[in-house]
Amino acid sequence: MNPAFDSILIKVLAGAVQSGTILLFPTLGEVLTERSGVLNLGLEGLMLIGAFFGFLGAMKTGNPYVGLLLGMAAAAAAAAIHAFICVTLRGNQTVTGLALAIFGTGLTSFYGDRWVSQRLTTPIKPMAIPGLSQIPVVGPILFSQDLIVYAGYILVALFWFLLFKTKVGVNLRAVGENAKAADAMGVNVVGTRYFWTILGGALAGAGGAYITCCIHPYWLNGITSGKGWIAVALVVFAMWNPFNALVGAFLFGSIEALQLQLQAGGTYINSALLSMLPYITTFAVIIVATLIVRVRHVGTPKELGIPYAREEK
Amino acid sequence: MLRFEKRDKTPVRLRVLVPICSVLLGLLAGSVVMLFARVNPVRVYGAIVKGAFGSAYTFSETLVIAVPLILISVGLCLVYRMKFFNIGAKGQYIMGAICGSYLALFGPATMSRPVLLTLMLVLGTLGGALWAIIPALLKVYWNVNEVIATLLLNYIASYILWFFMYGTWGTRGFPLSKNFALNAQLPRILPAPSRLHIGLFFGLAAAVIVWIIIRKTRFGYETRVLGDNERAARYAGINVFKTVIIAAVISGGLAGLAGIAHTSAVLRILQLEINSDYGYTAIIAAWLAGLDPLVAVGVSVLLAALEAGGYQIQIVMRVPFGIVGVIESSILFCLLAGEIITHYRVTLTRRLSTPLALDERARGAHESCL
Repeated sequence: MNPAFDSILIKVLAGAVQSGTILLFPTLGEVLTERSGVLNLGLEGLMLIGAFFGFLGAMKTGNPYVGLLLGMAAAAAAAAIHAFICVTLRGNQTVTGLALAIFGTGLTSFYGDRWVSQRLTTPIKPMAIPGLSQIPVVGPILFSQDLIVYAGYILVALFWFLLFKTKVGVNLRAVGENAKAADAMGVNVVGTRYFWTILGGALAGAGGAYITCCIHPYWLNGITSGKGWIAVALVVFAMWNPFNALVGAFLFGSIEALQLQLQAGGTYINSALLSMLPYITTFAVIIVATLIVRVRHVGTPKELGIPYAREEK
Repeated sequence: MLRFEKRDKTPVRLRVLVPICSVLLGLLAGSVVMLFARVNPVRVYGAIVKGAFGSAYTFSETLVIAVPLILISVGLCLVYRMKFFNIGAKGQYIMGAICGSYLALFGPATMSRPVLLTLMLVLGTLGGALWAIIPALLKVYWNVNEVIATLLLNYIASYILWFFMYGTWGTRGFPLSKNFALNAQLPRILPAPSRLHIGLFFGLAAAVIVWIIIRKTRFGYETRVLGDNERAARYAGINVFKTVIIAAVISGGLAGLAGIAHTSAVLRILQLEINSDYGYTAIIAAWLAGLDPLVAVGVSVLLAALEAGGYQIQIVMRVPFGIVGVIESSILFCLLAGEIITHYRVTLTRRLSTPLALDERARGAHESCL
């Protein structure tokens, strides 16, 4: 094959892994949150909070990893609001998630106004894994990335193991499937839901902070541009399985990388249609995934979105 | 330890008190956020009130924003009652604006004004309704999550508008259409510079009609039963398919109408920014109104004041508009949190925890309405 074409392809796919990682974190977090029976539609807001506070932390300290942690902490705090309203106060999870999305958008554009277009001079740098990165094709695509991408690989394996092979995972799934039974078994339903909602928030924040601390090291209002909503849809595609979340996120990362590559030489009209591509694809995918879930009865936690009230039937 | 006991009926006192407290707490939360940015909240709120109600003109501008909010939120009251969470009003608004504007920009020039305007409004309404039918069909046939579907359709609609504006509808490469001809401008009702238009009457009429539908018709009753308990609704012989589709068409159609009315009367041009985010604000309005269409009118004016004031503080005090989103979402948070006291009687008990079996006996009334 043409070596020039090969190198472009490798570049596009490496970009796909990066874009995919942005989606992977919130999707993975939401898989776990929803497994505990809590629906958090506010990922877009949480990602923005993570992106902004991550950027802020990186700017103030000069260390993008500290920024990333700050972004995660801020998003976790915002997710705690969701947990409090939905778990303790039994509020409507759909509307609370929506409020969270509006909150994150408003908050970050309010505080972020004075930071618009400022650049982070010390973004997260790639760190090739010795040995693995030398493998032809696969090496430059998967193993010449940054630490956050590798953390994504590890978390997928970790959470898959945790969810399906450990007692913690059994309890987590039990709470989402049948909270009453889990409660009777002695599982702390409220504590479980709080923990995984807040952890899911931290992961969504990581996805957002990864954008501003690494991929696009500057701040723009609404910089996540709907990725949080795509992540919500990807959870259905992933059928609530961490491994599928990785597949889905990287698939959508590829679509985005492809779109950017095509856009580089396109006109305005094409760019509108190309920008629409991820949303159209997500729309199609959500329909297909819903149908598959219906036929095969996999994944959907039975009590997703239903608050647990011990005193009720 | 807190104890929750299900209420059969929410006292009127609480139904009034909770929203009012939510608004106050929302404003308080906004102040805290402002203080962190070293912005004086008292001055900001003062400027918002002045920017929204300061003069006859500013108040009429507040009403200009209230019109689309009323039209959209009234429709949302209907669909939310049956727990069809259409958050796609933004997309429906955009599709309404696109479809109606098509006639304004490319329709036969010889058409008389009343005919052209009527057709534009009808086409806009149909555009919005179409954009709402898609997720409704997906919901009733295949149970596709309507929240995700409507949200994605918002983005798709935005890019469709983008496509037309940078394509054949723009002028000289700019994403602005040509100005609407006089025949295609919905009449304004007050002397210039006020931009308040007859859409206000559409909004008020829609509120009354939807209120009648909800309270006085069999269809409205069915939407309520469906929202309370879908299985019971099916047993009662309610045609779930028909009910969901009709309600979605009404809510989408009203959002589409809002889109074309605002574009034709206020903007008089089609462009990328057509204030479609009113589609999100209207969700808060509907919820704050307790899904009552008549109350939604008043709430829409209140939120419109916040938005109008928000534009003002951005221009005059350089306070970013994002604060409006913070306040609105904080109000919504408090409202949702407040549902615990409207749905349950909360009492403080001494025992730290009750065994499950004891609680079983003391459990509340019927099906959860959360």
